Amino acid sequence: MKSSHRPELSHTLSLNIPFENERQAEIAVNALSPDPILKPQDFHIIYTKNASDLSILFSAVDDRVLRVGVSSIIESVKTVIETIDELQ
Amino acid sequence: MVNLNGIPPKNGRQYYLGLGLEGSANKLGVGIIKHPVLPRHDNSDLSHECDAEILANIRDTYITPPGEGFLPRDTARHHRNWAVRLVRRALDEAKIDGPADIDVICFTKGPGMGAPLHSVVVVARTLSLLWDVPLVGVNHCVGHIEMGREITKAENPVVLYVSGGNTQAIAYSENRYRIFGETLDIAIGNCLDRFARTLKIPNEPSPGYNIEQLAKQCKNKERLVELPYTVKGMDLSMSGILGYVESLAADLFSHNTRNKLLFDPETKEQIVTVEDICYSLQENLFAMLVEITERAMAHVNSNQVLIVGGVGCNVRLQEMMAQMCHERSNGQVHATDERFCIDNGVMIAQAGLLQYRMGGAVKDLSETVVTQKFRTDEVYVAWRE
Repeated sequence: MKSSHRPELSHTLSLNIPFENERQAEIAVNALSPDPILKPQDFHIIYTKNASDLSILFSAVDDRVLRVGVSSIIESVKTVIETIDELQ
Repeated sequence: MVNLNGIPPKNGRQYYLGLGLEGSANKLGVGIIKHPVLPRHDNSDLSHECDAEILANIRDTYITPPGEGFLPRDTARHHRNWAVRLVRRALDEAKIDGPADIDVICFTKGPGMGAPLHSVVVVARTLSLLWDVPLVGVNHCVGHIEMGREITKAENPVVLYVSGGNTQAIAYSENRYRIFGETLDIAIGNCLDRFARTLKIPNEPSPGYNIEQLAKQCKNKERLVELPYTVKGMDLSMSGILGYVESLAADLFSHNTRNKLLFDPETKEQIVTVEDICYSLQENLFAMLVEITERAMAHVNSNQVLIVGGVGCNVRLQEMMAQMCHERSNGQVHATDERFCIDNGVMIAQAGLLQYRMGGAVKDLSETVVTQKFRTDEVYVAWRE
């Protein structure tokens, strides 16, 4: 991840999602990270792999942007997990 | 000359397998296609004769209640709910031993609705990483064109691409599918779908199909309801026609006897029915399409037309186009049925596999970002002369 946490985006949330193994966590990071954020000045996401966990750090200008952004990413994470679960 | 065999199939096989995922609008499609390795493809211009075998073609359509259109968010949710199940069914139907046998995973890169496109590309990326299979991003319009060419064996036709989101007359020249004419505002399918919503007729199996059925029941075919005819050079405009027929329908439903087109000024009797308006709307819109297609044919000296896209299943459109082609130097019309006309996964697999065989696989996942706007002529068509 090229940019680190940005201080002007004061509302943050961090999610830790455990996967069965490191490879799956790596797949999740790579499947999710290519998509650009529509308003990068208001919302920022950092995906990282921590052992077999997928860690996502969200930062946003306000709580509304954070809530909307987080729920849309969670939907994508669910798709990734279902795909790995069913089609491995 | 083009060499389609430059990249050999996986595991020393004598055939390629492509998986296609389509979800740019309200249809979610998964298809699997097989191309044998043919010596004639070493050095030829035969990308329309791949001897393709369709191993699976599964589609699930998100259908909204009468009077309602499909919204991006809800459509994306539909695709997320069904994508994995459809891929599983396609693999079972194609009797593929291991997913690692697949040479390439093809997905729709655009054009289309952002949220549904995105929901499908997430599945495509995950599968690619999971199975270690390369990805190819396909232009939706090019998918329609390549599927139509493969099914009908039309070598170099003028393509009329008519669907819910696009209306284009296309001809091939120097490695691009070039747009000769297109809509200036809404697509023809959008015009028909929205009129169907005004009439509150079902969206099942598709709104356009139901308008076609109503039009067939018109008992007054000699007397057309006069509508605006809006061909602008090589282009079309349809929003004005839609507004006009919507106002006609509103007058009809509210029984506004002051409208002299719909009600007899003397007796106040209704002289035009909903069926008559549907018939006239189709005749008028399709005549416009035939006109720009004929002009494109004259420009490129072609006598073949290929109709693709969802509206392409309309039998009346096919008839009118055939009549024009017949009167014009005995030309031919090529069209496919609903399996291939309406958005499907196989067409993405077909175009994607051609692209893959020419070395067009994605090298970095950053190239897989989907885009709502992606014009047909942006694609470099490496697989044709």
